[in-house]
Amino acid sequence: MNAPHIAKSLSRRRFLQSAGVTLALPLLEYMTPVFGRAAQAKAPRRLLIISNNLGFLPKPFFPKTAGRDYELTQTLTPLSNVRGELSIFSGMSHPDVNGGHSAENCFLTAARGPTKSGFRNQISLDQFAVEKLGQLTRFPTLNLGVNIDKANRSLSWTRDGVLLPAEDSAPALFRRMFVQGDPEAVKKQLNRLDERGSILDTLMDHTKKLSRDLGSDDRSRLDQYLTSVREVEERLLTAREWELKAKPVTSVPEPEDIRDKKLIFDKLDLMLRMAQLAFESDSTRVITLMVDAFATPAFKIHDGEDTTEGYHGLSHHGQAPEKVKQLEHADREQMVILGKLIQSLASKREDGARLLDRTMVLFGSNMGDANKHDNTNLPIILAGGGLKHGQHHAFKTDNNAPLCNLFVTLLQQLGVETNAFGSSTGALAVL
Amino acid sequence: MFFKASFLCLAFLATPILQATSPLVEKHCVECHDADTKKGNLDLTALSFDLKDSANRERWIRSHDRIEKSEMPPKAEDMPAADRATLVKMLDAALYEADHAEVLAHGRGPLRRLNRDEYEQNLRDILHLPDLDIRDILPEDREGFRFNKTTSMLDMSRVQLTAYLDAAEAALRAAMVSEKAPPEVIKKHIVGTDLFPGTGTFGNRESMFFARDNKFIDWDKKKDKEAVKAAATDETIEMALFRSASWPYLGTPKGFVAKRAGHYKLRFSARAVLQQPGFTLTPAKQPVPMTFRTRKPAGVDIINEVHAEGGVIDIQPEKQVYETTIRMREGEAFEYSLLGLPMPLAMNPNGSAPSYRYPPFPEGGQPGVAVQWLEIEGPLPPESWPPPSHHVLFDELGIDVKPANVKEDAKRLLRRFVKLAAREPVSEEDLKTFDALIQQRLDKGAAFSEAMLAGYKAFLASGDFIYLREPDSANDQFAVASRLSHFLTNSRPDERLLDLAEKKQLRDAKILREEATRLIASDGFERFVKNFTDYWLNLRQIRRDDPDIRLFPEYRFDEYLVESMERETRTFFTAMIRENFPASVLVKSDFVFANDRLAKHYDLPPITGSVVRKVSLPADSPFGGLLTQGAILKVSANGTTTSPVVRGAWVMERLIGKPPPAPPASVPAVEPDIRGAKTIRDLLALHTKEKSCAGCHAKFDPVGLALENFDILGGWRTRYRGVEEGERITGIDRAGHDFSYTLATNVDPRGKLIDGREFKNVNDLKAILAADPRQLARNLLHQFTVYATGTPVRYSDRREIESLLDACAKDGYRVRDLMLSLVQSSIFLGKP
Repeated sequence: MNAPHIAKSLSRRRFLQSAGVTLALPLLEYMTPVFGRAAQAKAPRRLLIISNNLGFLPKPFFPKTAGRDYELTQTLTPLSNVRGELSIFSGMSHPDVNGGHSAENCFLTAARGPTKSGFRNQISLDQFAVEKLGQLTRFPTLNLGVNIDKANRSLSWTRDGVLLPAEDSAPALFRRMFVQGDPEAVKKQLNRLDERGSILDTLMDHTKKLSRDLGSDDRSRLDQYLTSVREVEERLLTAREWELKAKPVTSVPEPEDIRDKKLIFDKLDLMLRMAQLAFESDSTRVITLMVDAFATPAFKIHDGEDTTEGYHGLSHHGQAPEKVKQLEHADREQMVILGKLIQSLASKREDGARLLDRTMVLFGSNMGDANKHDNTNLPIILAGGGLKHGQHHAFKTDNNAPLCNLFVTLLQQLGVETNAFGSSTGALAVL
Repeated sequence: MFFKASFLCLAFLATPILQATSPLVEKHCVECHDADTKKGNLDLTALSFDLKDSANRERWIRSHDRIEKSEMPPKAEDMPAADRATLVKMLDAALYEADHAEVLAHGRGPLRRLNRDEYEQNLRDILHLPDLDIRDILPEDREGFRFNKTTSMLDMSRVQLTAYLDAAEAALRAAMVSEKAPPEVIKKHIVGTDLFPGTGTFGNRESMFFARDNKFIDWDKKKDKEAVKAAATDETIEMALFRSASWPYLGTPKGFVAKRAGHYKLRFSARAVLQQPGFTLTPAKQPVPMTFRTRKPAGVDIINEVHAEGGVIDIQPEKQVYETTIRMREGEAFEYSLLGLPMPLAMNPNGSAPSYRYPPFPEGGQPGVAVQWLEIEGPLPPESWPPPSHHVLFDELGIDVKPANVKEDAKRLLRRFVKLAAREPVSEEDLKTFDALIQQRLDKGAAFSEAMLAGYKAFLASGDFIYLREPDSANDQFAVASRLSHFLTNSRPDERLLDLAEKKQLRDAKILREEATRLIASDGFERFVKNFTDYWLNLRQIRRDDPDIRLFPEYRFDEYLVESMERETRTFFTAMIRENFPASVLVKSDFVFANDRLAKHYDLPPITGSVVRKVSLPADSPFGGLLTQGAILKVSANGTTTSPVVRGAWVMERLIGKPPPAPPASVPAVEPDIRGAKTIRDLLALHTKEKSCAGCHAKFDPVGLALENFDILGGWRTRYRGVEEGERITGIDRAGHDFSYTLATNVDPRGKLIDGREFKNVNDLKAILAADPRQLARNLLHQFTVYATGTPVRYSDRREIESLLDACAKDGYRVRDLMLSLVQSSIFLGKP
């Protein structure tokens, strides 16, 4: 577990590249076990959330009947062999999150009124989870993107409504996970942590002095403060350990990037494989992935079929049959990719358990019907995570259930002690 | 029975005085409130009379209150008046004694941490950064007793502490500069076609066109790029804008983006116009209000943060030059926003390309604004460089922060900063802990400025800074200064207050009164008004529910109305205090604060201009008083229907100060019927027929019924609207959409209060409520108390509250008098 391994694998890759050999990324099998995991008593729980910001055609997507015996629709057919591993949700949305494309900023935040004056976004699901869970892995979360504009697109937002940029380069992500950082950058970060540690020490001393001559009620308030100081210090130590620890080693070579926006689904597939690699190496437990269909020009659906125009233009199909047909194919292609991911996660084992059973995968969209800029009745698929699956859960189409109720369930399943998030009214009882 | 009695005696033994009440409780209460029956989940035989325990005390306070109000026993005649008086008196004495003893021993409440608004404002004031934006780095504070200043809710946690550190860091970074000179000031004079991004917009020509000699210029036909380009310097052209730029949101001058954050001065020449058929302009008859909005240009279809800036400007029909200052964040553009004008909604049937449909022109023409030229200048430089914020951190050490003597300067700067930031003197011993931190950072090789910032950060996250404390002695001056300033300005005490505290003069009755009066008159008082009404009246959620456009098409996209309603209530509340109105204005007044839009909304004679001002009401107007203001009626309704239950409970709790008990968990809310077939009264009848429901609902439903004449935005109505039953009304709404609703059943506002007094309409109700100004004043004192001290009125405060009310009675319980009397009370100043 040290640098020479990495250097070797890198040089091997360079060699192959320079020799003109194209590297196909093999399935990621020979992961080195990650340190620390054995010491953790609880089985890791993971979450991957994917959103295509133009969504899916609603009619071919949503099953007609609810319950266990629903019939797989045209779009969902590619998921037939994993149907027992997933649940379909209909009739869900974020209350008061409307305004067409602007709603994509709110998919994981549920902040109301994204087009209203004075709007400010709120903390997203992934950041909320990390705030509660603390840093269990090297990266508290990873935010990824496909065809995104880095400055303006991400599913992840801070508490004060600042966008957390998403990574859209597979090799850059790979290097962050497996290649030791630049010593200067590490030093800078350690220095930052060190400063914060010193500040906390000072606060501890100072507060202890303060509390000597206080009454009992006041003292209990300051105890709360001191406890907080101690807890922040503990977390700093964890962060510091991560900074000092060598990164895990993988036998998988660094992937080639895909920069051609036309290859949106190849890129999606690649980023999903990177996400899986991140989970397998326990580099993170929470990943978001935004597929920016909105910014995608005419694209390849699969080998042998390209669209005739950009994704956004297609999405306003106006029921034109030739456009609808292309979208149907594009929607189905994404289900093929999702099905592949689910199978791959199911085939992987970790401490004797299926990786899928420890990994929740949510694929959905902020858009219920892009043709009409409708942000209700969002398409949501949830797989894995050891939850009870196999059903279509249909909520009212004219009076949607808050999507945040499902988010609360995800959070709880991740191990976050909460019964509220965003616009939730409770946890979803059906899983 | 014997067992019960002896058990009761045991519980009572602790306090001898209560042994006397035991037979009375036994006689009148225990039959229902024993271990077997346990009505209302209260078993008096098991309830200890150890009043030192606050949970027990709360239970007994509730018992005392219900007996005193003759609510218990349920049939008032079951308890002879003499018994009641005796029991109430004895309980009162014991409760007062126990609560007062605790206040004497521990103070009225413990330390309270600053909430995020206060933390931000403290740092803004310390660092001279009025635009500092760090509030949202801190988690939202929990509410208690409706306010975000309630001690018991303001906990500290790991997340909270980290956020304080992050916020302090962000603030200090914002205060420090490293450039040799202020950012270059950009000046631009924009005319002609540069006043808009293109020659047309999504909204078609009805939304915007360029005109010369009051006639549109047909760029479309010419398709002549050169001509358009040449017109960018053509001063004879006007840019005429007719719809709110909120969507499509592209009404910005061409290509201007703020490269640097800061304030930008805008000067522009404009006039209000009317668009006539055929795209010609005539002078307007009324001013047209507009404002500027800033946002990042993130593509045509996606908006994130948008800020209204520079205030509302009434553009007059005669050509004039206007000037305002807007704040821009880095990378933002600004757009023209015409308030009050509807924006057309794109119609794209089946997803075809958007088209727009406009409602027929209003009589006389479509109002709009024609702009001749616009000048931008900014970012406006600070008064000095380095700016004052940098000085706070580094005194005269300049941009490079080069100390003459590292150790000495570090100590000196720290003391200087702490003196500017602290709200009371900090001991040398404490300062040394921060000295040590700075020294340690220096020893580890940190740059001087970084080491100093570490020390400052530590101070700004320390208990001294984060917590406000209760005045701890009769001579505690600084805690009073902080309490007063956080009460009335939501921030730290200013220099004058600290000076008076230092001189030990602040507790002098006359000086304290003068200082409170001074703060009430200050600009900082606006923060009190905003924060207090945001929470007490829930104004922060005034935009929570959009009007249901099926039923209320006239309110579609009427942001100007909502904005005006919000300003009305805040202006009214400010005047309640500054102009010292009697407390009865909570429910009744013979004037409103209105502007052009509100005058229309309240069916008053037309007035012009966006400024909210005092307007007298006709004698029979149902408006006047906080109770019937649009903002209040909006936040107490949802976007579709009103509910007398919800509104009644809202008003009783917040305005009258008689909060209804919590609803039983098992009963669902009344589901409104918007078909128009059933009135809310029919639906409620089912609900209140049950005796168990009726008892409570009679306390608040009637008030809500009287308000049924006001729709979801406070507009007057005599009939409910529906979508199915009743007389059908159709038309085209202000944004060009067809509408169709029905006028259904009549509103019946009659009702009977729990004490038997009947009213026929809202004005009758107002007269009844206004007849008890003492209760309205008591409620205000209770609200001010929890807001100012973080602790709600305690049992042992009640006597003092009544004596404050006595003192204010002769002048009719005026609101500023109430506020000032509270400031001078021991509730505010701490134990005597």
